[in-house]
Amino acid sequence: MLKFADYGIFSGGDLMGVKYEAVLWNRQKKSYDIILWGMIVGILLVFVVSQFLMHPLITLETLIIRATALTAFVLLHLILMIGPLARLDHRFLPLLYNRRHLGVSMFLIALVHGAFSIIQFHALGDVNPIVSVFTSNQNYQAISEFPFQILGFFALIILFLMAATSHDFWLKNLSPKIWKTLHISVYLAYALLIAHVATGALQYENHPAYWAILILGFASVTGLHFTAGFNDYKRLTKEKYAALEDGFVEVCTINEIQDDCAKTVFINGENIAIFKYDGNVSAVHNVCKHQMGPLGEGKIVDGCITCPWHGYQYLPQNGQAPAPFTETLHTYIVKVIGSKVWVHPTPKPEGTFIEPAKVEQT
Amino acid sequence: MERLISSLLQFVLVYLILGLVFTIAFMSKGLTVVDEGTKETSWKFKLLILPGMLVFWPLFALKWKRSLK
Repeated sequence: MLKFADYGIFSGGDLMGVKYEAVLWNRQKKSYDIILWGMIVGILLVFVVSQFLMHPLITLETLIIRATALTAFVLLHLILMIGPLARLDHRFLPLLYNRRHLGVSMFLIALVHGAFSIIQFHALGDVNPIVSVFTSNQNYQAISEFPFQILGFFALIILFLMAATSHDFWLKNLSPKIWKTLHISVYLAYALLIAHVATGALQYENHPAYWAILILGFASVTGLHFTAGFNDYKRLTKEKYAALEDGFVEVCTINEIQDDCAKTVFINGENIAIFKYDGNVSAVHNVCKHQMGPLGEGKIVDGCITCPWHGYQYLPQNGQAPAPFTETLHTYIVKVIGSKVWVHPTPKPEGTFIEPAKVEQT
Repeated sequence: MERLISSLLQFVLVYLILGLVFTIAFMSKGLTVVDEGTKETSWKFKLLILPGMLVFWPLFALKWKRSLK
């Protein structure tokens, strides 16, 4: 799913306790920023010139409101299209990795639009400007006079929350689950903004070409998402059939295994513990070599499976006890297909290294 | 309607002011206790997390309280 930040511009420190930085710059990010702001300035210039040609008497405030609205809306479309594009073609991945700064830039431009709109249309009376946004127009029953400003206001609040929490510090401190949920609300903001534009600007500038552009943008975003989703579905189905043919058994969903813990299963008489740790999944025989303790009831401590009975340890990737100890466990091949964990119940010789399956980021 | 919106707005304003007061104290004393990764971080980093802190400050108040126990 899409969100402002996957990896990127505001990245500072990781989740493993390294010191945070405000912005971790590198050459790629600098290039990305130069291109991004070149594009933003380009859109603004083209729009300003075209507005002056079409409306020579346009005021500066109106020009700023319209130019920032268009630029932010175009950027939001780009942001929403980058995710599915990267899933369809990996050459788009560099855009995905640096999407965070694109999101924050878009919010700042949208903020200028919101601030100027409130000043221009709501700050001249004796009512608080924010209160005026909600009370100056209450024609909720009529599309042509719908109080579209409220839709934009709530969208801006969502975009603010996303921009304000785009640093890795927030990913760690809000928890990945809450952070992801918050950032997926970009779709709600997008829906609000589509309605904001349709019931606002397009009620006054209702040339069919503007409607066509709005529909085309919406169709591009939704079309890319459906195409990428369908491709994922086809790929996963293919992988599942291949796994079944190879003798793999579907065990559970990835969320059923807690971080640094295991799920235990009996398959064809094999007692298997499947551990999830650091975005990896590995499987070993579920019986400790010391006194046959249940390893699957233990945890990963310092990178090692740790037996809950007497603390004997094994590396999850190869089932070997760390030196100087010499105990070894059987290991099993694991796959993660979509959100499901699959395991091959044929044990590998004790101590065999098995490449951990990677937990797919959703 | 106007009264309701005004009241909500005042509530939000008070919430944000409380957040600012908390954040000033938290950034000088509690931030490094709650998250070790913030040790020796620059003022730019603190400025970046400030807007979010004004919104999510109760979460950090809770974390700080827990860490003091």
